[in-house]
Amino acid sequence: MIFVCKNCGGNVVYSPERHSMFCPYCDSVESDERRDHPGGELSVCPNCGGEIPVEEHTSATQCPYCDNYMIFNERVEGQYTPKKIIPFQMGKETCKNSLRERFKKCTFAPVDFLSEARLDRIQGYYVPYWFYSYDTSCRYDGEGTKVRSWTSGNIQYTETSYYRIHRDLDIDFRNIPVDASVQMPDEVMDLIAPFQYGQMVDFKPEYMSGFYGEKYNMTSDLVESRARDHMDADAEKLLKGSISGYATVSPGQRNIQVKNSAAEYGLIPLWKYDYQYDGQKYPFYVNGQTGKIVGMPPISKKKVWGYTGTLWGCLTVIMVLCRLIMGWL
Amino acid sequence: MSNEIRKEARKQYFHYFRIWFIMIAVLLVAAAVAGVMHGMRQNVPRTNFSAPAERVYDYADVLTDEEENMLRQRIAELEGELAIDIVLVTFNQSVEGEEAMRQYGYRSTDWEQNMMDYADDFWDENKYGYNKGFNGDGCILVHNWYEGQNGEHLSPSGRVEERFSVDDIDAVIYAVDEYYDTDPYRAYLAYVNKTASLMSETGNVQLPFMVILVLPLVVALVYALVNLHQKPAQDTTTANTYVEGGKPVMKAQADDFIRKSVITRRIESGSSGSGGSSRGGSHSGGGGHHISRSGASHGGGSHRH
Repeated sequence: MIFVCKNCGGNVVYSPERHSMFCPYCDSVESDERRDHPGGELSVCPNCGGEIPVEEHTSATQCPYCDNYMIFNERVEGQYTPKKIIPFQMGKETCKNSLRERFKKCTFAPVDFLSEARLDRIQGYYVPYWFYSYDTSCRYDGEGTKVRSWTSGNIQYTETSYYRIHRDLDIDFRNIPVDASVQMPDEVMDLIAPFQYGQMVDFKPEYMSGFYGEKYNMTSDLVESRARDHMDADAEKLLKGSISGYATVSPGQRNIQVKNSAAEYGLIPLWKYDYQYDGQKYPFYVNGQTGKIVGMPPISKKKVWGYTGTLWGCLTVIMVLCRLIMGWL
Repeated sequence: MSNEIRKEARKQYFHYFRIWFIMIAVLLVAAAVAGVMHGMRQNVPRTNFSAPAERVYDYADVLTDEEENMLRQRIAELEGELAIDIVLVTFNQSVEGEEAMRQYGYRSTDWEQNMMDYADDFWDENKYGYNKGFNGDGCILVHNWYEGQNGEHLSPSGRVEERFSVDDIDAVIYAVDEYYDTDPYRAYLAYVNKTASLMSETGNVQLPFMVILVLPLVVALVYALVNLHQKPAQDTTTANTYVEGGKPVMKAQADDFIRKSVITRRIESGSSGSGGSSRGGSHSGGGGHHISRSGASHGGGSHRH
């Protein structure tokens, strides 16, 4: 499907700044009209007929010839229908400015790292995620000690009191996110979190117009262990946090029981900046909702030597001049 | 690298170091001005013509004629460069005690006071000073060879007085002390040369060459290390991030006392003392500024052997 403007026929895209569909050709807002091409080949642009490189899990892409954004119906419908989506909250320009702000102090980053030409290659992706919810009952039974010490005359007393500690907590975890994309590195997708779920809405394909997208390529069963690990670690911390005032706490018995669980499929917005330097790829990921950035810029050896050498030279020259001036005054 | 990137690299480079380059430009101008001033000062013509041409008075006769001439020649060379008068007097006369006070009209029986007066009076009465005959620029070293009262007094005046710290005065006197008993000529040459080198230096604030070589290197290395370090993205989720309502619901909580145990420990009492001693020392400095009997200002310091 593609979304075209009822006024001018141009490709309408979702505008994060306006939070609505927007035609960049005639500046119309909410003038979109959905055009489906049932039975059409995925690799052919429904607008211009050009051949589009479509990968196995691509659900939305841009035609390299006519620049129209299209969404593949069969990859956002049926079993692949996302239940929820967080629409892009920050546009491309805001994302570029965030990157500039974040890395402006990276003195040794290559010259063109933050150049307009390079940053303009940033692309917006909707990444498939599974959101896991668990209703848990967490128990802890153990022993803790409290120590009191005082001195009377020339005798020092140390009193140790022993307590039986019992905690029973209900912890309901909601929407623990785990990415369902093979392409996206797990550690990066974990770091890009958290998301503000208040802005999560029911899925509509309109949100995908103007961006790239993927359908889930790992089932919820396949990746659930990551959510479970996260849930276990958080429950452990919360149990620990509920016990305070003790000098020591024995490991005791911890039991985390899942009463109910559920998994929902949804899409998360992500800006991706692929920077290449010295034949190596340096990907940067920007949370399309919160603006959190994950990625490390490369180091330009020329800049390291050039800038460090210049600083050394400047300091030496300044000190020599100061010595001369002081000697002559 | 394309031309555009090269252009951008140059732009970034000059923008980054602009403050440093401006500082260097300003210092270059300041150095040029200071250099011109220094040059002008070096070619300052003598303006005091009332002082005698003689600079070496060997009343104690510890130098040969040839040595005296060599000293005069050296002093003449340096005086032109530094625009100061450098005077040397050796004598052999008691300057301490009642008898000396009566015989030579000293105002005190004290050795140091009289050495100082001798030097100041010699300078003032002869109207020494490169630029003027009163409070003029220069210094005089008087060395008394009288048995039992051997020692020197250095009396700087004018610009030399302003420049010389107590340490500088000591340095000059120590330079003389090193050779006076073995080679008086070498000792007095050391006086002339040390005075000249101190006057050529930067006053009290000096930047040793080692500092100039090492400090920028250290700063540059620290700069490189700091800028090479990059802070990776942090996990900003907490244990509560995905908990509904932001916190768990406590269904049951119990902290039941079971038992207690008490351990006692006797505190050992005892005292230990420590003694110490301090060693004091005294030293005498070179001496401060003072006004001579004729009313001129002098610095100076003495050293008695």
